[in-house]
Amino acid sequence: MNCPLPQAISPKSTQFLPFYTQIRTKSSIFDCFLRLNLSLMSIFEYNGSAIVAMVGKNCFAIASDRRLGVQLQTVATDFQKIYKMHDKLFIGLAGLATDAQTLYQRLVFRLKLYQLREERDMKPETFASLVSAILYEKRFGPYFCQPVIAGLGDEDKPFICTMDSIGAKELAKDFVVAGTASESLYGACESMFKPDMEAEELFETISQALLSSVDRDCLSGWGGHVYLVTPTEVTERILKGRMD
Amino acid sequence: MMKIDLSGLEASAPIKGNTVDSRDEILGVPSFALPTTADFDGFQKAAVQMVKPAKGTTTLAFIFKDGVMVAADSRASMGGYISSQSVKKIIEINPYMLGTMAGGAADCQFWHRNLGIKCRLHELANKRRISVAGASKMLANILYSYRGMGLSVGTMIAGWDEKGPGLYYVDSEGGRLKGTRFSVGSGSPYAYGVLDSGYRFDMSVEEAAELARRSIYHATFRDGASGGVASVYHVGPNGWKKLSGDDVGELHYHYYPVEPTTVEQEMTEVAVA
Amino acid sequence: MTASESMPHKGGFSFDLCKRNEMLAQKGLKQPGFLKTVCFDLLRNNDLGYFYDGVILGADTRATEGPIVADKNCEKIHYMAPNIYCCGAGTAADTEAVTDMVSSQLKLHRYHTGRESRVVTALSLLKSHLFSYQGHVSAALVLGGVDVTGPHLHTIYPHGSTDTLPFATMGSGSLAAMAIFESKYCEGLSRDEGIKLVAEAICSGIFNDLGSGSNVDICVITKGKQEYLRNYMSPNPRTYISEKGYSFSKKTEVLLTKITPLREMVEVIEGADAMEE
Repeated sequence: MNCPLPQAISPKSTQFLPFYTQIRTKSSIFDCFLRLNLSLMSIFEYNGSAIVAMVGKNCFAIASDRRLGVQLQTVATDFQKIYKMHDKLFIGLAGLATDAQTLYQRLVFRLKLYQLREERDMKPETFASLVSAILYEKRFGPYFCQPVIAGLGDEDKPFICTMDSIGAKELAKDFVVAGTASESLYGACESMFKPDMEAEELFETISQALLSSVDRDCLSGWGGHVYLVTPTEVTERILKGRMD
Repeated sequence: MMKIDLSGLEASAPIKGNTVDSRDEILGVPSFALPTTADFDGFQKAAVQMVKPAKGTTTLAFIFKDGVMVAADSRASMGGYISSQSVKKIIEINPYMLGTMAGGAADCQFWHRNLGIKCRLHELANKRRISVAGASKMLANILYSYRGMGLSVGTMIAGWDEKGPGLYYVDSEGGRLKGTRFSVGSGSPYAYGVLDSGYRFDMSVEEAAELARRSIYHATFRDGASGGVASVYHVGPNGWKKLSGDDVGELHYHYYPVEPTTVEQEMTEVAVA
Repeated sequence: MTASESMPHKGGFSFDLCKRNEMLAQKGLKQPGFLKTVCFDLLRNNDLGYFYDGVILGADTRATEGPIVADKNCEKIHYMAPNIYCCGAGTAADTEAVTDMVSSQLKLHRYHTGRESRVVTALSLLKSHLFSYQGHVSAALVLGGVDVTGPHLHTIYPHGSTDTLPFATMGSGSLAAMAIFESKYCEGLSRDEGIKLVAEAICSGIFNDLGSGSNVDICVITKGKQEYLRNYMSPNPRTYISEKGYSFSKKTEVLLTKITPLREMVEVIEGADAMEE
């Protein structure tokens, strides 16, 4: 008689406020001194990363940090987080490195399959839908990574977009960010970004935004890696950054 | 509000004259108001986790022929966020004694200041400076009395007294160790690596300072929670002196210089059929 | 790698990482209730008004990820069929996926029958999908459209229950928006009055609810006609743009530069039409 329905199956009484309150309980403060308290550490913060992409005038730039860590321990400072899918399409994968690499391999596989069948390169919009579909397929057991996609589409129109780990696309006209330094990156990009920048100014802006943001994050940094893509050429640059 | 009884923690130095209430307030061991809750330990743990700005740290100190070398980084972090790159982690207790800071910033600062007061009182009462052993024991006793109540301190007390250089490690679990070489904090394993391999007792001050600086640099490189400035102090017979404070960001390129290079590359592969 | 892993999936969810993720959770490597931060939680406030032989849908344009505003101008009114649109609240990926999926099923159904889709068809498809996942697909939807049987408005909850109402709200801003509807809604509203009312309700959500914000999107569906008024109102423009922009005192130092000129694209004249997406 006095048996209430379990929470999960009380249909009509469901209010959507719980969701709201739930997401505000993100625990970002955890103990990281003397003894590490792992239980509060999000799996996204295991390896550490910072990725940002920006749109300029007929060009785009995508940048990442270079650190691979295991929690606070830095393991490598030349780690690749941005991958070239084809000449004008790049993907940056933030989050758990093992999942990022697995996901990348699956994406390459699907991209090549597409190229063989269609005899052309994939448009960035199509690629974003592909990534989204692959991520959503694992809705209840996701890859722990957040992709940033940047490419030049039809008539060399720049396209950037990011997703969460289950493939909710977020298309933006200006910039997108991902990784452990995303909060600082949002701030830096909001203040530094200008619309319609030329390639060199775009490079300077994205580099400054990246370097200043990772200087406020323990888990990313150790140099930067920038790809600047215009319709005629791809410029890849390694940035000098703080190594602490 | 209940008050915790800390009468057992009164300064051990005999203080002459009348005991006045206001004196108690200034000189006695401070007492803290306790929360009115059934589960005190649980409350304490949760509260400390919530408020405490955690600090990842690298600090080190070692004794060599010319005294004690003390060095530390300067980063303060809360989780992954770097809250400051310019923290003074070497606390100047008095002109002959230094303390280092690892663990909770507030805990370390407060109890080092408290220790400074006690050391000065000892000096006034006994007309001689307190020994490093005595000072460190005073701190260890205080920390032991608060054991299990949420304090988080990992410190080294380094100084010069009548017996020569002294170095003690003291922590909030109540431990107190005498030694010649210590490193404390999340970056300590990396610092130990460099320190142990490069340490000799008969180093010159310059060599010792370089070893300390290098140890801190390597720790900041590998440890995400350490960084900022590597500051190096030396304690000799005439008291301590700050030798250097180098930005680790520049130190890296000083140790490992790099030349900018440009590689122009013609594309060979065919993009589209 | 299993065959299902390497070959393009035929559709449906894949649970092969669940065990691993559960193991990671047990090792304490991720925070409890990870979905809260793993997902983009779109807290959306969507409202809808009813007027003479038509339906008006409205939504704000804020997407959040925890306390961060992830997207300041996202689209929450999803296309289902030419005569049906759907507002989505809850987890962004779920609302997006579920509406896309049903929209394609509706299109196939139209090809099959050659008739205009009905709102109840969309409703059944949505609720049966959501019910079968017992609330784990967290999409809270407001479905609106006009078909042969007239204008319809439904709300669908993540567990699969539905409501049919003259006016409805969903999402974190639903209370603020419903307050406006309850006080100002009446029967026989004209098109313009309806749009004004819906916009006001959305604005109430934007200004009074923290999970909602930015602009107002409106979609008006009447018999044989639909208007998608993207950014119908922009009550929150940026106020802090520096005219001069930002200048950097010190140039970024570059350690290595590698320039790859791209080959001139060869124009390929194709007979067949492009197959995209």
